[in-house]
Amino acid sequence: MFKAKVKAEVIKNIIDIASPLVTEAKFNITPKGISLRAVDPAHVAMVDVDVKASSFEEYKADEMEMGIDLDKLGGIMKLANANDTVSLEYDEDTNKLIIRIGNLVRKMGLLDTAGMPDPKIPNLNLPAKITIKASELFQGVRASEAVSDHISLTATKDSFELFAEGDTDVVNLKLPKDLLLELNTPEKCRSLFSIDYFSNMVKPVKGEEPITMHLGNDNPIKLEFDFTEKNGHAVYLLAPRIESE
Amino acid sequence: MLCGKERCPVLVRFSFQARVNKLIDSLTLEGSSPPSVFVGRIGYPKVAVGPLIPPVVGDTSFIDTPEFWGNVTIDDIVNFRSQLVRGKHVVNVYDVDSSDKIVSLTRELALSRESVQSEVYFEKKPSGRIIFYDEAQPHGPSAPIKKLEISNPKYDHRIEKAFYDTDLRARDAVVELYKKGTLVSSIQKAFSVGAFGEKKYRRFVPTRWSITAVDSMLGEELLKQTKNSPLINEYRVYRFKRFDNRWVVLMMPTSWRYELIEAWYPKTTWNPYGATIAIYNSYEFYNGRKTYAEIGGCYYAARLAVNETLTKEHRQAGVVIFREAHPGYILPVGVWNVRETVRKALKQPYTKYDDLQTALSAVKETMDIPLERWIKNSAVLKDSLHQRRLEDFFT
Repeated sequence: MFKAKVKAEVIKNIIDIASPLVTEAKFNITPKGISLRAVDPAHVAMVDVDVKASSFEEYKADEMEMGIDLDKLGGIMKLANANDTVSLEYDEDTNKLIIRIGNLVRKMGLLDTAGMPDPKIPNLNLPAKITIKASELFQGVRASEAVSDHISLTATKDSFELFAEGDTDVVNLKLPKDLLLELNTPEKCRSLFSIDYFSNMVKPVKGEEPITMHLGNDNPIKLEFDFTEKNGHAVYLLAPRIESE
Repeated sequence: MLCGKERCPVLVRFSFQARVNKLIDSLTLEGSSPPSVFVGRIGYPKVAVGPLIPPVVGDTSFIDTPEFWGNVTIDDIVNFRSQLVRGKHVVNVYDVDSSDKIVSLTRELALSRESVQSEVYFEKKPSGRIIFYDEAQPHGPSAPIKKLEISNPKYDHRIEKAFYDTDLRARDAVVELYKKGTLVSSIQKAFSVGAFGEKKYRRFVPTRWSITAVDSMLGEELLKQTKNSPLINEYRVYRFKRFDNRWVVLMMPTSWRYELIEAWYPKTTWNPYGATIAIYNSYEFYNGRKTYAEIGGCYYAARLAVNETLTKEHRQAGVVIFREAHPGYILPVGVWNVRETVRKALKQPYTKYDDLQTALSAVKETMDIPLERWIKNSAVLKDSLHQRRLEDFFT
């Protein structure tokens, strides 16, 4: 059983966060809320989204799974404004999700979840923790996209640095500790990442909202942030590139 | 040769030209169209459409069916293609339903499954030499058509059915015909005369665009299956040589990604004046491309060929195709060459490897260009060598 009412924006957020990595996903539904965990086809990145029942206007659910085509659900959500209330109901008899937006009723067929695995989370050693305003990080990422296909991220005791180098051009964004919301590392940490992936992970975070990064040496990065007034939480993992010769 | 080429393309053209000219130096031409049509691009949306007709009567289907050209030489191609005289009739591409006789006969001819006996009266004598294109096959002299007469064509019933179904979308028609075994070249011909699609969207499509449109649609269709199939179990290297081109297809046990890298030696078709080898590449990762491939139609032709093999095996792989065009490749023969050559390469026995490094060493042995230079010009190889996966961090 699953029956809920929620602002369209919350569903749109979930789709924006997951869709850069996967087109189909398994939503895990419990009485406490909705979560989704998926790995991209190349096994380079993982997304883990959690939305608490408290972010819904109404929420009633038993434990269940729903296989959802994210493109399709995204298309349906485009019919609603961010502030519209959307009602969602699982119809057991037809295995469809019934979505009501105002007077519009949209029944969406669900996907078989049998082939959708529950990805494991790797054990990581990520000593550095950096919290930064999304807008600031995004500016550095956008600048880097124009010159290279990868960036290096470096955290030291007193600064965080983003660096990209192409054949002729260079981008550097260096932020001292006092311009960051938080910087904490026992040692210098540096890893390299694909800009395509990294930029997709920063994009869903709005302007001044904080993003927290956990960084190691030639290790994956863990990037996390809250949404919908802290009732939603998203975590991305992205495997690093290793230095070219 | 003083110009540096291995053989003289001018002489190759000339020796055949001299023979053909005598046969077609007239205001009328009688012959059997393979069948073949050509839709021009210049002046779009007002373009020249019309049949290609050789001065030969009988079954001429071979000369417009690239699927059968497995054993022909460049000289053969120049020889039989230069006999094809192109009749030109200027129409608006949207006028596929026009009552104009030349338009309807051109379409009928394109839908035929056998050679069609034709008689054409020209406004003036056919002129020009053999013409080469990036995507389309070459053809011979051309002239504006005054009047066209053809014998009753025998339709390919599968194509005919799609033609009369004016609610069937063009993409669905193309995919359906392909799955029923219609040759890609036949689908392309019918596509170019606007025989498919919902009625209001039908139009003539310039030959070169129709070739790539069909390759691209079919590749995308097969990719739906490829992307949901299990990965291959090993690294594979396929090799093939033709027209002084060396081909290597590398398959990797990864999610779908694809790249075609072409190295053109100086004095070859796409590097006529360069002093050094020019390398071009286009690629896509799992989610595909949003823009037209930099290297053009050959990208889509090879992508179709690769997916034919993968879907047949019910497998998924990452694929990198290496092409070295050596100086013996003096004339462009059309995109069919890429499609058929990659198809042929994938029918050869392949060698298996356990890891990327040893597979790349095998590539290195077949190719002249150093591995480092291939890697430098390859987005997919760089990714494979440098990008780690999350599994690498499970301890």
